[in-house]
This record gives sequence, structure tokens and C-alpha cells, in this order.
Amino acid sequence: MSGQLIEQIVNGVILGAIYALMGAGLTLIYGTMRVLNFAYGEFYMLGGYAFLLLTSAAGMPWPLALVLAAVLVFAFAAVTAAGVVQPLLARPGWDFSTIAATLGISIALQNAALAIWGERFQSVPYMVDGTLEVAGLHIPYQRLLIVAAAAVLIAGSAAILSFTRFGRAVRATAQDREAARVLGVPADRTSILAFAFGSALAALAGMILAPIYAVSPWMGVPLALKAFAVVVLGGLGSFRGAVVAGLLLGIVEAVGVALTSSEWREAIAFAVLIAVIWVRPWGLYGVERSVR
Amino acid sequence: MNGMFAPRKGRTLAAAGLAAVAWLSIPLVVQQPYVLHVLILTAIFATFAIGWNLVTGFAGLKTFGHHALFAIAAYASALLAKNFGWSPWITAWLGAGLGTLVGFLVALPALRIRSVAHLAIVTLAFAEIIRILISNLKELTRGELGLIGIPAFDPLFLPVLGRVTFGGSGRPAFFYLASVLMLAALASVWALMRSRAGLAFVALRNSQEAAESLGINLARYKFLAFAASGFIVGLSGAVYAHYVRVLTPHSVAGLEVMIMVIAMVLVGGIGTHLGPVVGALVLVGGAEVLRDVGNYRLLLYGALIVLATRFFPQGIARMAEHVRWPRPAVLKPQPDPERP
Repeated sequence: MSGQLIEQIVNGVILGAIYALMGAGLTLIYGTMRVLNFAYGEFYMLGGYAFLLLTSAAGMPWPLALVLAAVLVFAFAAVTAAGVVQPLLARPGWDFSTIAATLGISIALQNAALAIWGERFQSVPYMVDGTLEVAGLHIPYQRLLIVAAAAVLIAGSAAILSFTRFGRAVRATAQDREAARVLGVPADRTSILAFAFGSALAALAGMILAPIYAVSPWMGVPLALKAFAVVVLGGLGSFRGAVVAGLLLGIVEAVGVALTSSEWREAIAFAVLIAVIWVRPWGLYGVERSVR
Repeated sequence: MNGMFAPRKGRTLAAAGLAAVAWLSIPLVVQQPYVLHVLILTAIFATFAIGWNLVTGFAGLKTFGHHALFAIAAYASALLAKNFGWSPWITAWLGAGLGTLVGFLVALPALRIRSVAHLAIVTLAFAEIIRILISNLKELTRGELGLIGIPAFDPLFLPVLGRVTFGGSGRPAFFYLASVLMLAALASVWALMRSRAGLAFVALRNSQEAAESLGINLARYKFLAFAASGFIVGLSGAVYAHYVRVLTPHSVAGLEVMIMVIAMVLVGGIGTHLGPVVGALVLVGGAEVLRDVGNYRLLLYGALIVLATRFFPQGIARMAEHVRWPRPAVLKPQPDPERP
């Protein structure tokens, strides 16, 4: 019994690492721009496709493809932010128009991917082969790589936010856009870069998960929904909240798999999400005044 | 001609009347079933868009889950008519009633939360739960296989016209049914926005804090906006069910449906009366005219939303308001014949 439980918890940590990474990118964008990026799952999808094309069609070694694909998605996201999202922030009704616009981007990118790459689910080979056998547990190295990569990316992002000039600009913009601008922080450029940075995190999540889940135009939808749940649970805009809530959700989901039937799992997750927003809309680490 | 606005109001009403008459006389000129089919879908989705525009455009309560109301009313009316043999003329109202009730339910989070981001997540999550419910309750709805054999509206016996049928070949009749629905929704929202409630909606759209400080009962008007909107959207969903007579979770409860309506309202002009109708004409009609775009329809809708919010936030209807129409000759200063 306990062996099975431990295996579920290990799976939960792996899942949770991915949720935390996805949540971290989304909350970074929200925190800096106050924009809920509904196209977030599509940057994850673009990461998957970019990685697939660079490794299989261009025959690149995977570590190089990982970096190059992240750079490509970063650039695409920066163009999207500068061309569509950022200009909307200056206008009245921006809180609605940015959501509508990112929803539009989401559906447009899904269907563009469908038109270009087809509806076929494509698989990516494992980056590392073999299985770790320890205390009766069988953990493929690929899954360990996922946890390690997610941990490195999250820690790296936290370090960038804490210690670099860009990180300070992001935090200043998140705290008070106008005050930051007065003190010489280029708030608009910072927002655009934060949007691209968060989107690149989603793209990286899509790449390291690509060997396990297939690459398809709709691959981002379930992960984006989880990312939304994570950032709401953690408190919209809170980086630490997203990481904690991501791990929590991963473990709860993995352990709960045995308890609920799979066809209702999503519905239950959404019901919990609504309940959380109802009872504690600012989440674990958010600030109450930001909601009302 | 009393009051300074009288001439303009009179002209607006006359123009609206003319437009309605022109729309209603289309079947006298065009009889191809295909064209009428497109116009019927336009009218049904225009009604949906009018309902969503009431709560989001006029009252400023941003909601992204109205496809759930459309789907609930469509399935409710279809199931009641199919399983109990009730007339769709009755079940459509029951479906709309259910849409109103669910509208009340969706209004609840809007009472507590003002953050648009949180409301967007709640309403989208709610609609997603409804879609999963519809696809999982297979004994009732047949899930993804689709609900088939939904009864058509039964024939009416009207004075002068005699027996009027609404199934299959009765498309002109259904065109009038859908058009009456659309025009009634348009007129109701127009009247509502000219009442005390309409002023309250505009006040809470502009600033909830200011509206509250002026003694406007926010909860009451939020409930009213969502319920009225739920009724209109529900009615359009029920009529849709008995028109297409096949429902699947994706065709009515999929996010694509909401995306399409958002695109319609944004292109037509959010917060305007004619915007939803113009937008529905452009999007439903446009997609059918450009048959080749069929496969890229959703790509097009997504791109239209982005372009409309970015470059064209006022929408077609508001742009038309600023056009300087030629003034009627009567209003021009007449040259005095007595003086040279």
C-alpha cells in the first residue's frame, strides 16, 4: 500500500513541478502587466512545435533545440506583447480588451497550428533513456529530467527577479507602475519583456513535456487551465504562491486520481477553483484589496 | 416636435423602422433556402449577441461564460420537447426561464468580485463545467454523439396565411420567427436602456464605486442585468435547438461559440444597440460568402477579435453614428422669396 502511495506522491511532485513552472510564468505576466494571458497555453504549444521541428526536421541536438526554441517563442511573445497587448493597456477598458484580445490570439494560434501542422498528434523521442530503480520505485530518467529542469527554471527565474536589474524593474513595475515610471523604470519595455519571459517559461514546459504528452494544436489547453487554477490558488501575481500552489495541486491531483473517476476530474477541479475564488479570491499569497 | 431632440429621435425611429421593414421583406425578394438559412443563423446569433452585449457592453459586467446559458436553454428545451412530447412553443419559454435562473447564479460572483480577471476565470470555469456535464450525462444527452431527433416548432394556424410550418421546407416561416426574436430582443434592450434600470446600468459601467455612492443598489441591478441577459440568450438557444434539431456539447457549449459572439459584438461595436446585429451579419454572412474560409473560420474570428480590440475598438455601429448623413431638405433654412 505505502509503496503505491509513495509512487503517487512521486508522480505528484513531477506533475506539480510542471504546474509550478507554468504557474510561475503566468503569474509573472499578470503581476507585471495586470493582464490575464489567455493565450498562455498556445505559447506552451508553440514551444512544443518549435522543439519538434528543430529536433526532427532540422536534426538539431535536443539541448541546442531547447535553447533556440525558447528564444524563438520569446521573440514571438515579445512581438505579440508589443503589437497587441501593451498598446491596449493605455486605453480605457483595458482589463476587458486584453482578456478578449488574448482569447482571440489563443483561438487564432490554435487554428493556425491546425492549418499549418495538421491535427495529427506527433511524438518527440525521449531526451534521456533508462529508468531509475530505487526502493522498488521505477522512475524513468525523462521524468527526473522534467523535475530537474522545472526546478532549475523556477530557481533561475526567482534569481533573475531578485538579483538582476531587469528583475528589479519587473518588481517595481508590479508594485506601482506609475511610481516606477517616475523613478526612471521603463515600465512599458519591462512589461513586454516580462510577458515574453513568462511565455518562454511556458514554451520550455511544453518542450520538456513533449516526449511524454504528444505535440498537437490543442496540447496547451489542459495545461493552461491548470496554470490558471494554480495562479488563482496561489494569488494572482504572486510568484511564490504559484510555485507552492503548483506543487500542491500536482500532489493532490496524483493522489486523487485513484479516488475519482477520470471523466469528472476536470469538472471537480473547476468547481474547486470557483469555490476558492468565492471564499478567498486573493488566494494563498495575494493581497485582498487587489480583488474588490 | 417638442424638445430639442425631437427631430433627431424621430429620424432615428424612422430609420430603425425602415431597416426593420427592409429586413423583413428579404424573403419577398430572395427565396433560395441557403440564403434564408444563413439569415436565420444570423438572426439567432445576433439575439445571443444582443443578450451578451446587454450585460457586458451596457452594464459593464464582463462575463465570458454566456455560452453555458445558451447551451443549457437549448438542451433543456430540446429534451423537454423530445422526451415529454411538449410543444417547442412552450419548452422554448421554459428553456429561457432556466437561462434566466442560471443567469442569476452567474451574477452571484459578480456581486462579490470586481476584478475582471477573476470574473473571467469564474465564468469560463462555470461554462466548462456545464460543457463537461452535458458530455458526461450520456443517458440524457447522448454526450458527444449528439442529441438528435429534436422536434421542430409545430405548425401554426394563422389568420390570412393559414397553416404555417417551421420544419424542413418552411424556411421563410422560420426566417420570420428568428427575425421577430431578434427585433424583439433589440427593442426590449432599447426600452430597458431608456428606463431607470438602463441609467443604473450605465452608472455602474462607468464606476461601481460612484454608482454605489449615489445610492444605486448594485446587487439589484447586477441581478437584473444578468437575468435579462440570461433570458434573451436562453431564448436564442432554445430557438436554435429547434431549428438545427441536432445538438452536441461542442456546437453549443464549446468556447468557440462564445469566441464567435465576442467577435461579433466587438466588430459590430460593444455597448451599442445595433452593434451585435451588424457584427452577426458581418461574421455569419461573411463566413458564408467566403466559402473558402470555412476551414479557417475560427482563425478568422480570433484574428478579428485581436484587430477589433487593437485598431477598431469603436466598432462598425459607432462609426456609422459619426457619418454625416445628408440632412432632409425640410430642415435647411429656406430662402425667403420676399427678399431678393
